[in-house]
Amino acid sequence: MIEFQALTKAYGRLKAVDGLSLRVEPGEVYALLGPNGAGKTTALRCLASLLTPTSGTASVGGAAVYDDPLEVRRRIGFLSASMGLYDRLTPVELLSYFGRLHGVPDSDLERRVTELVRVFGIEEFSDQRCGTLSTGQRQRVSVARALVHDPPALILDEPTMGLDVLSGEVIYRFIEDERARGKAILFSTHQMAEVEFLADRVGVLSAGRLVAEGTSASLMVQTGQSSLARAFLALVGERT
Amino acid sequence: MTIAWVVFRKELQETLRDRRTLMMMVAVPVLLYPILMISAEQLTLMGLRQLESEPSVVGVSGPATDPAREFLGGFEEVTLREVSDASGAVRSDSVDAVALFAISPVADSTRTVTIVYDAANERSQRARALLARALGDWGDTLVAQRLSERGLPSGLAQPLSVADSSVALAEELGGYALGRFLPLLLILMTLLGTFYPAIDLAAGEKERGTLEALLTAPVPAQQIVVGKFLTVALIGVIAAALNLGSMLLTFQTGLFRFGDAFDIDFALPLGAVALIFVTLVPLAILFGSLFLGVALRSRSFKEAQNALTPIYLAVILPALLPVFPGIEFTVALAAVPVAGVGLFFRELMTGGPALLPSLVAVVTTLLWAWAALAFATVSFGREQVLFGEGDGRVESGSREIRAQVRAWLGPRGSTPQPIHALVFMLVVGAFFFYLGFPLQARLGETGLLLSEWMLLFTPAVLFVTLGGFNARATLSLRAPRSRQLGAAFLLIAGAMPLGWFLAWIQGFVIPVPWELLEGLDELLTAGSTPRLLWLLVIFAVTPALCEEFVFRGVLLGGTRASGSIMRAALLNGLVFGVFHVSFESVFRFLPTAWLGVVLAWAVLTTSSIWVGALMHFVNNGVIVLIASSPGLRAWFESGGEAPPWLLLPPAIVSMIVGVRLLRVSVRSDDSERSEGGASE
Repeated sequence: MIEFQALTKAYGRLKAVDGLSLRVEPGEVYALLGPNGAGKTTALRCLASLLTPTSGTASVGGAAVYDDPLEVRRRIGFLSASMGLYDRLTPVELLSYFGRLHGVPDSDLERRVTELVRVFGIEEFSDQRCGTLSTGQRQRVSVARALVHDPPALILDEPTMGLDVLSGEVIYRFIEDERARGKAILFSTHQMAEVEFLADRVGVLSAGRLVAEGTSASLMVQTGQSSLARAFLALVGERT
Repeated sequence: MTIAWVVFRKELQETLRDRRTLMMMVAVPVLLYPILMISAEQLTLMGLRQLESEPSVVGVSGPATDPAREFLGGFEEVTLREVSDASGAVRSDSVDAVALFAISPVADSTRTVTIVYDAANERSQRARALLARALGDWGDTLVAQRLSERGLPSGLAQPLSVADSSVALAEELGGYALGRFLPLLLILMTLLGTFYPAIDLAAGEKERGTLEALLTAPVPAQQIVVGKFLTVALIGVIAAALNLGSMLLTFQTGLFRFGDAFDIDFALPLGAVALIFVTLVPLAILFGSLFLGVALRSRSFKEAQNALTPIYLAVILPALLPVFPGIEFTVALAAVPVAGVGLFFRELMTGGPALLPSLVAVVTTLLWAWAALAFATVSFGREQVLFGEGDGRVESGSREIRAQVRAWLGPRGSTPQPIHALVFMLVVGAFFFYLGFPLQARLGETGLLLSEWMLLFTPAVLFVTLGGFNARATLSLRAPRSRQLGAAFLLIAGAMPLGWFLAWIQGFVIPVPWELLEGLDELLTAGSTPRLLWLLVIFAVTPALCEEFVFRGVLLGGTRASGSIMRAALLNGLVFGVFHVSFESVFRFLPTAWLGVVLAWAVLTTSSIWVGALMHFVNNGVIVLIASSPGLRAWFESGGEAPPWLLLPPAIVSMIVGVRLLRVSVRSDDSERSEGGASE
């Protein structure tokens, strides 16, 4: 479903992503783990066709980012780390707007928005402007926004950043639900706990390169460490 | 529902919830104008009344001034005071002004009186005016006395009594006064109206982190830009309309009483108001897209404000033009962005504006607006612009600019896009207009050669080579077949007389300045063979190369891919025609545009610029030959009469044959090539 093939994104001599290849199948949750500046966000932006790869390619369901960026965007739900919401719109207005942009037919739009409002517990603040919402409330609206067109693939850039445990829990539950519905989910993070908790497979990114890939358990075995955090440190430490 | 419309509706909804925009758009015009104008009026009137309620304190100084004191004492508005040091007394404010009398000369001569006053003090100014009037009256009385003592008639010393009477109606005076400042105000208000929404919708979106989410939607970036730009332009138009309405209402409801005091009626005809409003639309589009394009390149609200402020200031200068006296509404000024619209507004308010500059002002504003919108669209959707923070990389300023220019021009080895060709034409046109025409006027033939080679040929070659474009494809450098040259010759031989007929028809609308043409004839007349050859080099060879490289080269190369051959040829002719129009030579438009269309069609069909160059050379060469030979010239000089109708049938036949032969030669060329390809 989601595939990177030797994707490189360079800025002058600096390679932010260097020959990244990986696959995420439908119904699979893949965590991209890496320290700050490892190239996680750049890789996800290339996949979302927001950045043009310097070489190599990425595709979603067979549509390549360079050849058919609009088709790629139709097939993905992208949650950016910045959690961008329009402060002067209410959650319902915001969801309707993105629904229209994603081509959700007017006849289905209201039903879809109502459903998302219910699923993510947005009812109580659905008429408040986004600018007045708490961080947790904003994140719930953001996730609902990424799902408004019910895409087969989800790309989540640090989805739990800045959230408390309760709000984080909403996101975890949502990822599990979407996996059960057969979606391919690629998310970036640097929190070991959520990787162990959610990911079927994990790829460790360091200085733009994929230095290890497998299940959490296999990475621990590979590095001879007793926890994922130690395994991660060992892998990243080897590189630096 | 199109995406642009979806974006527009959302942006409008969000913008109308922004207090800052609402303040600028609604509160300022609706409340501030009436309040500001009325309080300014009241304060001024109050000051005037206060000034007039108190008598001016004046001093009289000098020998034998008793009669003067006696006369001035008769005025209620004057209080007399003794002074010894006139300047000191005025400076210390103990008196408002002093009449300083010189020594009394012999009888019946002129006595000098100097009024000492303080030009930087309003009370003193008023006292000076009072004294001047009173002393003037006294002088008249003295003259009358002298005349009557000698038994002479009182009119002897004043053979003329001059009075003036203005034919301007009260509303014309009002229009004149409004025309001086209202255009500036309207332009500034449109500007302000678009300023904040543009920043908010572009840089603001980046700052709040919403742009990334927006761009992951499966919609073309252009649609998003159009939606945003429609919002900005609409807000600009609404702001300007509210300003215009509020100001006119303030004047017309009688709240503002200055007009009554001076018998001025600040009213505008409804038609003028409607035209002003309609013209504000392209102006708002221009500002909206320009600001949006710049704001999109900024990372934050603050950065966008910094980037837009110089543009804001740059716009004020042309907007100020209508305020200055003596600035005429000419075609050249009408084409200057912002200034053209400002002058058009002024003319609308003061009376009927001339048609041609008005059209030029509106059309060029639309063209500038289109270019600005293209700029905004190009800005959007480029990753350097979207993630301006550059993921931590640092590039030197010049390298960044070079990279941006490269990105704008597209990959090396391609042909230019319409926007590249348009920007090139705008730049070349501006240089030619402001540098080339003056060069030709000052240096004559040398100036013509310089302007053609330096301002047309060289930029075209530099644009293609430095821009990294495929020169052969862009400039249509393919060598022509000899039969194509023959067909082209027939084509131009037919097109020239038809151009003559077109010029004659156009003469009914735009009169031809025959005196000017006679001057041109003298310039073209050759006395000897070497002179004739030289004239052919200047007027036929040079334009056939330089103008072809620009018009059938870069312009055609950039626009041919965007539509049908006919559309590209028509656009080419239009631009070619406009390019040849200067202050006095509007009459050249149609024949030149016609020539441009024919040349462009021939070059598009044959993919060879040399075909166009040959036709251009023949066209201009024939004109030089005719002008050089007195016999031929006499036959061709119609002086406004219709060209000989006998010319029409052979011209049409020649053109049709030329077109057919050219098409056939290209087709046979293609089939030869494909057969050759198949046999290889």
